[in-house]
Amino acid sequence: MGSFLKALDAPDPAETRGMFRIVTRHKVGLTSDLPLSYAQRIRQLDGALGVTTFDWFGGSYIDNSARNFFARFAVEPETFLQVFDDARVTRGSIEDWMSDRAGALVGEDLIKKFGWKLGDQVVLVGDIYPVTLQLTIRAVYGVSYGGSDGLFFNRKYLEQALPSFEGTVGTIWIKCADAEAANRLSDEIDRIFDNSPYPTKTESEKAFQMSFVSMLGNVKLLLTSLGVIIVLVIVLIAANTMALSARERVREVAVLRALGYTRRMILMLILGESLMLSLIGGFLGLSTFIIGLEPLKVSLMNTPISGFASAIMLFPEVLLMGFGVTLFVGLISGIGPAIRASQRPITEGLRHMG
Amino acid sequence: MTDSLIRVEGIVKRYYRGAEELTVLNGINLTIGDGEFVALMGPSGSGKTTLLNLIAGIDRPTSGHIFVRTDDISSMSESGLAEWRSRHIGFIFQTYNLIPVLTAYENVELPLLLTPLGGSERRKHVEIALHIVGLSDRMSHHPSQLSGGQEQRVAIARAIVTDPTLLIADEPTGDLDAKSAEEVLVLLERLNREFKKTIVMVTHDPKAAAKARRLVRLEKGNLIEDKNEKETTPTSRKDDVLAGGYQR
Repeated sequence: MGSFLKALDAPDPAETRGMFRIVTRHKVGLTSDLPLSYAQRIRQLDGALGVTTFDWFGGSYIDNSARNFFARFAVEPETFLQVFDDARVTRGSIEDWMSDRAGALVGEDLIKKFGWKLGDQVVLVGDIYPVTLQLTIRAVYGVSYGGSDGLFFNRKYLEQALPSFEGTVGTIWIKCADAEAANRLSDEIDRIFDNSPYPTKTESEKAFQMSFVSMLGNVKLLLTSLGVIIVLVIVLIAANTMALSARERVREVAVLRALGYTRRMILMLILGESLMLSLIGGFLGLSTFIIGLEPLKVSLMNTPISGFASAIMLFPEVLLMGFGVTLFVGLISGIGPAIRASQRPITEGLRHMG
Repeated sequence: MTDSLIRVEGIVKRYYRGAEELTVLNGINLTIGDGEFVALMGPSGSGKTTLLNLIAGIDRPTSGHIFVRTDDISSMSESGLAEWRSRHIGFIFQTYNLIPVLTAYENVELPLLLTPLGGSERRKHVEIALHIVGLSDRMSHHPSQLSGGQEQRVAIARAIVTDPTLLIADEPTGDLDAKSAEEVLVLLERLNREFKKTIVMVTHDPKAAAKARRLVRLEKGNLIEDKNEKETTPTSRKDDVLAGGYQR
């Protein structure tokens, strides 16, 4: 659970790499388009090093199953890598892609997943746009951070197939010179278009990506609540187990105390047992997580949250937190039975019929 | 006449059942000498087990004092009393009260874990104790693998392994068949005679009481009879193996 939450809090790649990307979209939402001319207007702003456009195509590849789902965008090949300069072309070339209007730039993860190679045809059947695209893989890209599981093709190909698409754009991505420019441009862009028929909302790449997650509801709150509930349930189960265990051994504890074991020793014995049980449980849980992490990531790769899945990893903080939770569960579940057992009068314990 | 080991002075013990006050012991005075084997008898509710618990330091009197040698155990702190019990008291219970998950060896070793003895010394003490009770060949057996008589002998080994000042036995034959009971009583008698162990035993069984050399009878919280049935002097130690016990 901690790893999921941590993945949601993964650092903004633009910030960590000094790439300072921001995203402009229609203020109303992603389903409303912006005029393509906005991209040209933004290019003229001081601090905008690169500007490119993104249009979600959607559609289906082979079928609509989650297994065959991946990101499909109509983009501008000429400016794409100016903004996404953390991506590098590993096979084919950007020129090959640009020279073929039906060409596609495909991520390495997708190439691996579907067993594609350069020159292969990828047919996308549109749903939002009533058109079938027959694309040819002309270049492959990779990134050092996160997943490379997108397919990008030339927006001109879509304009040619669907004239109504011309002149509109879903989102505009801007690469800023620095952090100051990113902050300034976010405000400036929205101010410029504030009184237009198409007002904008500009935000950092991370905030933009998180808005997708928030479409599912407050996932962080949900996961955190789920985690807290799970921990509380475990505490209740563990406390009940320890209480039963201590109750079964009332006479044994009384005998130990009669033999000279002090209250403190009894307290430590029962608390130690509780902590040990909890640590064994924590170790087993952690081992299961470590063993199951990769298969989990692979299975999530085939779903709409594949980008999020790629950020899930074994964070040291999560390990520490898991250790802390384990100690907490052991301590909380054992302290009550331990105190009761150590405080019970010996004569009462010896009379106890277990 | 033996030296005084235990002095019970004006012991009163009261319990409260709701608002009702129950006087279980009503000003008992008793002196037990070193090396005595005393049987406490009386009907149910006479206060004999309560008196035994007070002498053993697992219960506290409402008023009065109990001295074991020079220690006033009725005024000791909880942890001080626990430490005192580990040094001076060996318990033998009616229902044996062995820890079921531990072997006979481990059960007998339990009191020694509170001492500074090392592993090999502890082993030596445990082996001697089990030898004395005749269970050297049952060391690795769990209580469930032993008969009732054998379990009680393991419990006796646990009681004597630290070479305590006083053995406290609460109905030690109460759960045993006649043959096993006789074996246990012979063993207790031997511990008293050969090893000069002071034993205070609560019993309902006249045969068990007959093994003791002094009979103290209680009724309704009062001492009504105290007599030496067999005035014999303990024999000298033939086997002084326990007397050479550990030094703390």
